[in-house]
Order: sequence, then C-alpha cells, then structure tokens
Amino acid sequence: MASESTATDLVLGVPKSNSDRPFPLRATRAVGHFMVSKPLGGFGIVIILIIVAMAVFAPWVSRYDPEQLFSKPNPDFRPDLYEQSLTNPLIKLQYADHPEYFINGEIARPLESPSREHWLGTDRFSHDLYSRIIYGARLSLFVGIGASIIAMLLGTFFGVISGFFGGWVDMVLQRTTDAMLAFPSLILLLLFVQVLEQPNKYFITVALGIVGISQVIRITRASVLATREEVYVLAARSIGASNHRVMLRHILPNIMAPIIVIFTITIGAYILAEAGLQFIGFGDPTEISWGKMINEGRSSGTAKPLMALFCGIAITLAVLGFNLAGDALRDELDPRLRGR
Amino acid sequence: MGTYILRRALINIPVIWMVATVVFFATSVLPGDYVAQRIAAQNPIPDNPELAQQQLDAVREDLGLDDPVGVRYLQYMGNLLQGDFGTSFETRENAIKGFMDGFPYTLQLGIMTLIVATMTAIPIGILSAIRQDTISDYVLRVFSIIALAAPNFWVATMLLLYVIRGIPLPFTDAEIGWTIDLTSQALIWEDPITSLKLFAIPAIAGGIAAGAGVMRLLRSQMLEVLRADYIRTAWAKGMRERSVVVRHALKNAMIPVLTVLGLQIAGLIGGSVVFEFLFNIPGVGNRILRSITARDVPVVQAFILVIATFVVFVNLAVDVAYSIVDPRIRFS
Repeated sequence: MASESTATDLVLGVPKSNSDRPFPLRATRAVGHFMVSKPLGGFGIVIILIIVAMAVFAPWVSRYDPEQLFSKPNPDFRPDLYEQSLTNPLIKLQYADHPEYFINGEIARPLESPSREHWLGTDRFSHDLYSRIIYGARLSLFVGIGASIIAMLLGTFFGVISGFFGGWVDMVLQRTTDAMLAFPSLILLLLFVQVLEQPNKYFITVALGIVGISQVIRITRASVLATREEVYVLAARSIGASNHRVMLRHILPNIMAPIIVIFTITIGAYILAEAGLQFIGFGDPTEISWGKMINEGRSSGTAKPLMALFCGIAITLAVLGFNLAGDALRDELDPRLRGR
Repeated sequence: MGTYILRRALINIPVIWMVATVVFFATSVLPGDYVAQRIAAQNPIPDNPELAQQQLDAVREDLGLDDPVGVRYLQYMGNLLQGDFGTSFETRENAIKGFMDGFPYTLQLGIMTLIVATMTAIPIGILSAIRQDTISDYVLRVFSIIALAAPNFWVATMLLLYVIRGIPLPFTDAEIGWTIDLTSQALIWEDPITSLKLFAIPAIAGGIAAGAGVMRLLRSQMLEVLRADYIRTAWAKGMRERSVVVRHALKNAMIPVLTVLGLQIAGLIGGSVVFEFLFNIPGVGNRILRSITARDVPVVQAFILVIATFVVFVNLAVDVAYSIVDPRIRFS
C-alpha cells in the first residue's frame, strides 16, 4: 500500500510500496494474493492453464494423430478354413453364416472401451478419443476467446460512444441494442452461420461475437454514465481536452474493470454456444469439436455412452474454469457487478 | 402507471421494426435460395443453360422473388402492417401457420422447464443462504456452479442415453427402463402420461441449467437481505424462523430474481431449439431449424418476428411487474 510507506522507509531506502517493486515481483505477488484469497478462482485459472496447455501442446500431449484410423487383425479369421477355401470353394457355402472367418486383413475398431492403448477408448470412426479431445480444446478456445475479444472491442466502442455523447446517438444505439436483445440469440446465430455455404471457424467466431455485443454495450454504457460525472473528467474538460482525449485517456481506463470481468465470464458462454451449434450440425464440419463429438456419441447408439460422457466433461471443465476465474475477478475488481 | 406502460410500449415499435428489417435483409443474403434448391431436388436440370435459367426465372416469378430487394422490402413491410406474414414456399400456406402448430409443444416444454427451474432454484437458494458456510451450503454451491457450466444439451443427451435408452448405470447392472416412443409426440391434453414422460427429460436438463443462475442470484440476494435491520427486528420480535425467512427476507430478495426469471421466460421460446432437435419435438424451434435449412424465407421471417415481439412484450411485462413490486423504480 502506497499510503503505508512512511518517511523512515524512504530514508532507509526500503521500497515498502508494492508499486516500487520491479514488475515481475509485483505480478507474482498479485497472482499469489489472488490465489490465496480466491481459492475457487485460483482453481479456475489452473483449469484454464491446463486447457490452454492442451491446445498449444496438442501434438505432444496427444498420443496419436487425431485423424489416424485404428484397425486390428480380424480376430475371427480362421487360417485353416481360408487355406481350404482356396482349393475348395464349397467350404465357404458350408460356413455361409460366418463370412468373417474368411476375411484375411484388418478390421476397424469403433467404440472401444478405455484400454491401456486408448486411454478413453475410440470413437465411432475408430479414432483415438483421448487425442481428439485434446485437439478439440483448440477449437473451443479459439472460438471462445476470439468471440469474446470481438464482442469486447466492438461493444466497448459503441458503449463508450453511447454513454459519452448521449442524445440521439445514445437513443439510436440503445434501440439497436434492444432489437438485438429481442432476437432469440441462437436463431440469429443460425441465420448468420448460414450466410456462408460452408461455415468456417473464423466466421462462426465473428458471428458469435456480433450476437454478444449488445450485452457488452449495456454494461459499458452504464459504467460510462457513472464515470462521466466524475471530477477528473470535469477537470480534463476544463483544461480543454477534446472529446477524443477524454474518452480514451480518462474514461476508458476507469471502466476497464467491468470490461475485463465481462470478457472473462463470456468466454465460457461462447464455448457453450459454439458446442451447441456443432451439436445440432450447424458448425464447421471439418473441425474436431467437442460439441460435434457429443452428437456423434449420441447417434452411435446405446452400446458405448462413454464418448458423449467424456466430451461433455471436457466442455463442462473448460466452461467451469472460465466461470470460476471470472467470478473471482469480478469480486476482486468490481463488487458492484456481483449477482449479474 | 398508465403513461409509463404506454411509453414503454411505444418504444417497442421501432425495436420490432428494426428486427423485421434485419431479418428481411439477413434472409435475402443467404446463399442458395429456395428456388435453386427445390429445382435441383425435383426436376432434372436442362442441359441448355438458357433453358435452366428460364425455369429458375419462372419459379422465382411465381414466388414473387423476381423484384429487386428494395421493392420486395416495401411490399413485405406493407403486408406486415396489414397482418400478412406472407406465404410459405414449401407448404403454400400462411407463413405463420407453422408457428401456431408448433407453439403448444414449445409452450408445454417452456412451462415444464420453468417449473423445474423454480422448484430447484428457490428452495436451494434459500437453504444455501440461511445455512451459509455449512456443508450443505458448499454442496449446493458446487452443484450450482457445475450445473451452470455443463452444456444443457449434454445433460439431456446423457439422460436420454441412460434413462430412455436403458444403458446400465456405471458399475452396476441396474437399468432405468423408461420406454418412451420418440417417434410420436403427444401433448399433455392428448396423452398426459406419455407426454409428461417425453417432456420431463428436456425440462429437467433445461430447468437445472436455467435454475442454477437463479439459485446463485437468490443466494446472494438473501445473504444481503438477511443482514438488514428489519430482519433483526423480526427476530427480536420473537418470530419463528419460517416466517422471518419466508415473509420478510424472501419477499425482498425475490425482486431482482423475478427480473431474471422473466428474462428466462422470454428466452425459453428461442432457446428450446436444441431440445426440440434432440427429442424430435415438433415445436417452434424444430420448425425454424428446418425452415432455415430449406431457405423457406417467409416462414423464417415470420417466426423470428413473432418470437422477438413476444420477447419484447415479456420484457415490458417484467418491467411493469417490477415497478408494481418495487414502486421506487417508477419514480426514479
């Protein structure tokens, strides 16, 4: 605390204030403090770090190529009968109920149970499920963080303008926001996604971000309205600062707390939305996606529910991480937002 | 009060107009229009490109798609003002008819979801607050945090696999044999038991997810209210715990919770798409999904417009209810 440093400290040259310490030390202390005072938030951050590591180091963490198809020698193959059938074709008729006796080769291994070789088993196309779940983190993180950045940048821009200028600009922007909030967001998303013949992840990210703007505009505008009346804004104006300067240098830094909080919390919501899109078959069909894998697990019937189970756990953990971290950040940075 | 409602209702008119405009232009830029899709599906395309173009033009003219976008927009708006939503390309019926047919299913699902949400959220929220920092509080909070993070379609899928399809529960041989015929969907007044069984799982999956947010909000509101002076007064008067909690604390804690519940009612119609897809329920969500893929533009426009209008007026109703419960809102 800067206010706690006394004259003696200064004389002795002991930097007591945290802001006097070099940045790496300061950052470590801040992180340590956060972890101790908000254990749940710390847990969330650990989950996020694990998932980010999964995504970044996927080729090393995953045990196989996610596109590799696994097969095994046909266990029902009967070499003796096969030998005979080469000379005597009638033997095949004799075993007409068992054509598998004569297949000399590899067969696919779909929907296997977990084993030493395949930690989470295989999916319905005989891929290694563990590797696919690791690679699936890439899409979820990309879309979740990307959409959140887009929503935050555009939402803050319009929110600050709306709150700062007021009048008819505010009126128009607020009615537009109302209209966007009135849209059923999933249906709006479905429409956007259909604009391309084949949706890709970049387009879905932008669409998700745009659908989410209105919420950010609301919160930014409310914060700007509160900040606009502060004395330091008045002071900046009285020395002749331009609108541009007041917005960028005086208002924006003071509303960063709620923006950072909203940024973190909405990542989880975007991950859920993207998985939902993939689940109903409106996502990018070429990507490895947790949501799509849940649907594949569902439609591959009752024999092996594990595939849907594991992918769902992956999504839940990812969303949980961002939610917990966001909640803790909110309590730390902006207690007014509690309960939103 | 009257002028307040009127003013809020008038603000909604430009909002609905904007929704109609956005939907109109969004649907007109969708690639691969209905005509091309339908012709490709039904008729052999003539080898001669000129003939093929003639065929396209003939169908487009028939459906009224040959005018420039601006003209069509004006026509669309003119028709809307007369209460005409246009004609479905596919069924040649009024575009709004599909909505009317699907609405009872979505309504039943929505009401059941809401019942599950409130039945879980309110008791758990209260319990978690009055037993703050006990084991039961921690367990309930962890439950609500996980319920908020778990994708609702995944919860529904797992329930579908384990409850309806009868997969043995992990580590046991026990099966929940809940045979439900997913090919025929009954409404509650047609066949109450089958209907309730079919809708129960999506309602539970959706209701828990929707309830988790309410639960957390109610808990934090209750904690705030329980520290208020009038609660201490109520205790000091010697009131029973039950009436302190329910009559004094809950009533005040519920005000912001009502708003959130209202917003969720508004979200139920548009948000049921995934469940209707999963359980093959012929409700509004399933129909709009089909119309979007088929490029049945008038139906998509009509559905979104009606849903948005519904949302806007539910929000209005919530605000009015809010100002009745808490008169301070009206005068500020």
